[in-house]
Amino acid sequence: MSRAWFLGLLLFVVLIGGLTTLRGSELAVAIPLLLYWACALLRAPDEIKLEIRRQLTAERVAPGTPVEIKVTVSNAGERLEELALDDIVPVGLEIMEGSSRHLISLGKHRTFEFKYIVRGTRGGYAFGGLYAEAGDALGLLRIATEVSAPKRLLVLPTVARLKAVPIRPRRTRVYSGTIPARVGGAGVEFFGVRPYEVGDPARRINWRAVARHPEAVYSNEFQQERVADVAVVLDGRERADLRASGKSLFEYSVVAAGSLASGLLQQGNRVGLLVYSQYLQWTFPGYGKIQRERILHALGTAAPGSSQIFEGLQYLPTRLFPPESQIVLVSPLLEDDLPTVIQLRARGYRVLVVCPDPVKFEMSNLPPLSSKYSRADVVLAGRILRLERAVSLRRLRRAGVQVIEWDISRPFDQEMQGAFRRLNRAAG
Amino acid sequence: MNATVLALVASIVLGTGSLAWGYVGVGLPQLARWIVIFGAVWLAAVWQRWRWFAYVGLALYFLAAALGLWFLNFPPGWMFAGAILALLAWDLTNFRYRQTFAASDAERRPVELRHLLRLSIIAILGFALASLAMVAKLQFSFDWIALMAVVAVLGLSQIIRWFRNRS
Repeated sequence: MSRAWFLGLLLFVVLIGGLTTLRGSELAVAIPLLLYWACALLRAPDEIKLEIRRQLTAERVAPGTPVEIKVTVSNAGERLEELALDDIVPVGLEIMEGSSRHLISLGKHRTFEFKYIVRGTRGGYAFGGLYAEAGDALGLLRIATEVSAPKRLLVLPTVARLKAVPIRPRRTRVYSGTIPARVGGAGVEFFGVRPYEVGDPARRINWRAVARHPEAVYSNEFQQERVADVAVVLDGRERADLRASGKSLFEYSVVAAGSLASGLLQQGNRVGLLVYSQYLQWTFPGYGKIQRERILHALGTAAPGSSQIFEGLQYLPTRLFPPESQIVLVSPLLEDDLPTVIQLRARGYRVLVVCPDPVKFEMSNLPPLSSKYSRADVVLAGRILRLERAVSLRRLRRAGVQVIEWDISRPFDQEMQGAFRRLNRAAG
Repeated sequence: MNATVLALVASIVLGTGSLAWGYVGVGLPQLARWIVIFGAVWLAAVWQRWRWFAYVGLALYFLAAALGLWFLNFPPGWMFAGAILALLAWDLTNFRYRQTFAASDAERRPVELRHLLRLSIIAILGFALASLAMVAKLQFSFDWIALMAVVAVLGLSQIIRWFRNRS
């Protein structure tokens, strides 16, 4: 029951009581209530006519970056005696300074402006409306409305700068890049020899081959370096995600996917992003800075989710990836994912799996130990898990899948530097 | 403690005191004791921020005042004071909640000042008019009652229409 109804009912009861007892002087007790009602009715607002303008100092920021929100409220209607404003801040944003709630009195055609500073973790935050509640001078008769002032703030994931990501897909695209194309031509690395053709520069002639086979002249051929098609697949399945101490392993996967995609685009490759979560979120492959922005945008709003269909990786839509291209899978990997990954490799894709280490994550975010388990028990459990995982990853490596395990206690770029070096060495 | 809370506590204390004093004055200390106990509970409700309790308080204080005036011929001044102060306490309980919208003390103070001023005027005016009515000792004939009933029904229908238009 609203205050107005309650007071009206009380007034009615008092009046009826007075009339029933037929003692006019006793009706006097209703006078203060009547006066209160009259005063409220006199200045009750009929409608709220507000115009809202919202401005953000930045619409795409890094996590934790302060963003100032400026809201300008203009009253296009009658004077509002008591106006309560509540700018609805999206969940996940933290107000650092200022307030999103205000209690003011706003005259006809007057403007009120307020600012507050927010910051947030990775994600897309949609500012919807501003809740406004206006009332009479006593706050008895109140009307409320939500005035729309949409804006969107995108907190992009942190991206580490990576040096050349060592990928070697079987098939490359026609444009020159940095990926060895297994095709002879202009390049840096020696590829083979072929019979001399008119126009070959003299310094390309392989004199040793000519000396061995004097009947012909041979030229050196170098491996062409081209760009490749790369699909970065981010595993967003809830069952593959771990949460502990308010942290999520998925966040590490997002950082890894963003950094890898950014590094691969930097190398000139055509990169697409597939977020394998509650549904498939596919960012069509493209080149350059615009594509980087598209991918970061997709990663900014990516969230782990569960779905019966995408519970396992077996429904990975390989038709989206060109045949024999490079797939970069960012996933903590579950035991039942291994056959799917091996199958991808068998189909001719080059597969690089980057695993944020789930064991390390759990071990570093353990809650305080209960009396049931000792520290030694936990360490032993951790060792067993690590061994099981090492066996699984070895199975993948044997199948020709490149696997990089990321110790999440170290920065991604530092970890990758060493891992890429090892992969390059292994590739010869 | 801001002015609203001070005024709220003062309203409850003075309202409870007025009613209790009125009841003691006509030799009903038992009822007065219950009113004081209820006042203490109301103060505890203010501390606990139970907004709903103000509704109970207002209804019971008006009932107590009406009982005293209608059936027991109590001194009207104390009864009016009890009822009006309960009305103020009920209003201020809600106003205290609305103040949570204010971003700062500087923003809150002018609104608070205006509200307290209006409320004081209503309280004084209400008390004065009620007292005047008591002094005049209006006696109602049947014509008067019929007229007042019509006015009450019209007023009520106006209020209902206003609510319907809004929703």
